[in-house]
Amino acid sequence: MLVEYNSLITLIALTAILAFSFYAVLIAGQLSLAQVGLASLAAFTSSLVVPAEPLFGFIPPLAVGIVFGMCVGIIAAFILGLPVIRLRGVFLAIATLAFGEMVRIFLINQSWTNGAQGMSFPKLVGIEIAWIALVVVAFWFWRLSGSRLGRAFAAIREDELAATSMGIDVARYRMASFVIAGAVAGLYGVLLTYFSRFADPNEFSFTAAVDGLVTAVVGGVTLFVGPVLGSVFLSVLPEVQRVLGVDAGWIRPTVSGVLLLVVILFLPGGLSGLIPRRKSAKRLIVDPAARPDLPDLPAPGTELVRLQSLGKSYGGVHAVRSVDLTVAAGEVLGLIGPNGAGKTTLVNMVTALTPPSTGSGSVLGVNLTDSTKAHRLAQAGVARTFQQIKLFNRLSALENVLVGGYRITHDTLLRRLFFLPSARRFEREAVAMASAQLIRVGLGDKAANAAGDLSYGDQRRLEIARALASHPSLLVLDEPAAGMNHVEAGRLSELIRSLAADGIAVLVIEHNVRMMLATCDRIMVLNFGEVIASGTPGEIARDPKVLEAYLGSSGSDADSDAAAVLAAEDLAEVTAESVRDHNRGHADAGPDGRSNESGATDVEDNR
Amino acid sequence: MQLFLDGIFLGSIYALFAIGFTLVFGILDRLNLAHAAVFTAGALVGIEIVTRLGVPIWLLIPMVLVFGAVLGILIERIAFRPLAGRHDAHFAGLISSIAFGAILLSLLQAMYGADTRRFPADIFTPTRVEILGATVSLLQVVILIISVSLMIVLTWLVAKSKLGRGMRTIAENPHAAAVLGLNVGRISSTTFALSSALGAVAGVLFTLNVNAASLGIGHAVELKALAVIVVGGMGSLPGALIGGLILGVAEVLAVNYIGSSWRDMVAFGLLFLILILRPQGLFGARKTREV
Repeated sequence: MLVEYNSLITLIALTAILAFSFYAVLIAGQLSLAQVGLASLAAFTSSLVVPAEPLFGFIPPLAVGIVFGMCVGIIAAFILGLPVIRLRGVFLAIATLAFGEMVRIFLINQSWTNGAQGMSFPKLVGIEIAWIALVVVAFWFWRLSGSRLGRAFAAIREDELAATSMGIDVARYRMASFVIAGAVAGLYGVLLTYFSRFADPNEFSFTAAVDGLVTAVVGGVTLFVGPVLGSVFLSVLPEVQRVLGVDAGWIRPTVSGVLLLVVILFLPGGLSGLIPRRKSAKRLIVDPAARPDLPDLPAPGTELVRLQSLGKSYGGVHAVRSVDLTVAAGEVLGLIGPNGAGKTTLVNMVTALTPPSTGSGSVLGVNLTDSTKAHRLAQAGVARTFQQIKLFNRLSALENVLVGGYRITHDTLLRRLFFLPSARRFEREAVAMASAQLIRVGLGDKAANAAGDLSYGDQRRLEIARALASHPSLLVLDEPAAGMNHVEAGRLSELIRSLAADGIAVLVIEHNVRMMLATCDRIMVLNFGEVIASGTPGEIARDPKVLEAYLGSSGSDADSDAAAVLAAEDLAEVTAESVRDHNRGHADAGPDGRSNESGATDVEDNR
Repeated sequence: MQLFLDGIFLGSIYALFAIGFTLVFGILDRLNLAHAAVFTAGALVGIEIVTRLGVPIWLLIPMVLVFGAVLGILIERIAFRPLAGRHDAHFAGLISSIAFGAILLSLLQAMYGADTRRFPADIFTPTRVEILGATVSLLQVVILIISVSLMIVLTWLVAKSKLGRGMRTIAENPHAAAVLGLNVGRISSTTFALSSALGAVAGVLFTLNVNAASLGIGHAVELKALAVIVVGGMGSLPGALIGGLILGVAEVLAVNYIGSSWRDMVAFGLLFLILILRPQGLFGARKTREV
């Protein structure tokens, strides 16, 4: 009875392999429609090299074809990727679609393919080979999903900018997913033609590409079995209809269309979304012994950042002009200033997200130039958070932090493929490191929650944990206390002090002036892109220019709050001075300019 | 000259199809892949109307416009609105519109079969006129006039009317538009209705031009329309018009000088080049990345 379905079962495997080719790019957030064109190219060119007899007497002709076809797929995907990899979304889809059509038209017009008449292939692929190939491909993607490479793909899919700032070379990884997809597409092309024994280039059309995409999406990309489920569903459906006798002409496509619509509208994760998913990592590992050995941070006081008259202008607008700045290991440098003062632009330059227009700078030994890539800087030891929270929303809190550990962890894909014990050990190390950071910011009990479901304050803390997971020498925080109440802000302040005590250099932007006065070793005040004041918190609090800047700004509530705090500081200062005048001779040196109490009472400063 | 005019006639139909395509993309940021099925439906239903009722062309066009508009509203309601707010709405919209298109095509197959259908031969008198030394049929001139005037009306609508202002607000920021009290749902529906109305009429005009319609005609035009809207700039209405005309002329020239088997290479070669050299297209604005 099974013999009747032999060809159907083989086609299920082949279609699933095509769907895996789409899956390979979809998991990295890319939509490519070139797969079928790549398959076609691989299939037809392989016909030129596949020998009739085993090569050297023992290598089967099909093996030659498969290896050759996959190489063609890889090379073609790479060459196609060079120009198109920078395109995004729909544009990438259309460019790759155009590529597929160009391949089809090219092959149609070649004499060696017999053009539209098609050419015949020897029958070399049967049900066993197809399924063995599928199992190998599925195994590969299964082992990929929990590896560092798989996590990097997920990070790129969720948020490219955040992935870059974690040290992930986005362009390279996107190309990697493209090339993997090319290899799988080549495999599919060769297997299909040597199974169906006949092919003409028109079979590898836009419609075929859309079918492959639909299979992958119906199956879902959240789990590696998605493509298989999609293929089974879409291949068996017509067969079921035939058996039920409802396949007259138009009924079959109608039913298929309706089912496809239902799946896409009501099953957001595709069919594989129905399978309860075991998160790759959801339990914390609190055993300190499991943590990896980390390299030492630079000795406290080492200069890590030096900017010299660094500036940025957009058109004629100077967002930042000529800023000099240094940050040393173990100190907290605060950047304050009214809205639009250029703080975020400055910080973006320090993290190489924005190239400077003038001046020079070096961060952890890397010079800031037009060509400095943010991921390079991240790998050197810079980690940051964003003013607009950029978490990987659909990943769990722990998974977010695991991605953050990209810089200090090892790639585990190869080890996972062979189930080496070191894969498990590295995984434990990574989870232990991530767990420690989650607990440090106070999110230990929310490790399994999706990042997007956390409260605003928790999301801010999670971003810090993710940044810390890379064991950074320099931590850049862009408005970490935004949206926190003063109790939370107080705890954040303690956290920042403890990080500095560990030897991390912290550069922090914040509107909460009270907290900044209490937290920072030094503060720089920016207004209209220029440094208007710089010094210890005490000096800043007393500087009339700073208060003026905030009062003069037409800006937000945050600005007026800051002005209010500064005014209160001034008042306290005046009072303190008058008290001091009274008790002349009793004046003491006071604390060293910072304390962990509320800044409003912290007015003393040595003169 | 003859070639050039033929190219313009063909191109104006591409443009009419593409302009509906790009309207939805430009305003709602969605690629509606059911547009090709609407094109086919417009052609087949148009033939049906003429065969049954024998209406003249000036009555046929408004009827097809209405038919297309209804289809557009259905597409928006069934394939796109349920996805609103989903993080993968972009993606799911592609697939759900493919599904909707497939359903529409299979229903057309149920009604009209899979065979090629034609307009009744005696409907339009084959008057030929001579322009600048080239012979063109009166029908071709009518096609050009209809498509260009529809495109002008649409461009005016988007640029000047209250509805158009609403559309452009949504294009800028759908969330803010809703906060401002705009009925985002209704404007989205209207956008789809306009888009599909033009797509359906393009189907009729295309069929009048070659006098043959089958279930597959939408696909070829869809691929070319993708090329047109990218070349013109995604979301740009004048871009779609110019892009369509360029493609029409380039194709006719390619057939004449290179050979018909390479004709489709023109569209995709052009598309590929533009995407590499100027991804925002000829008339598109470059979108900047926000940090």
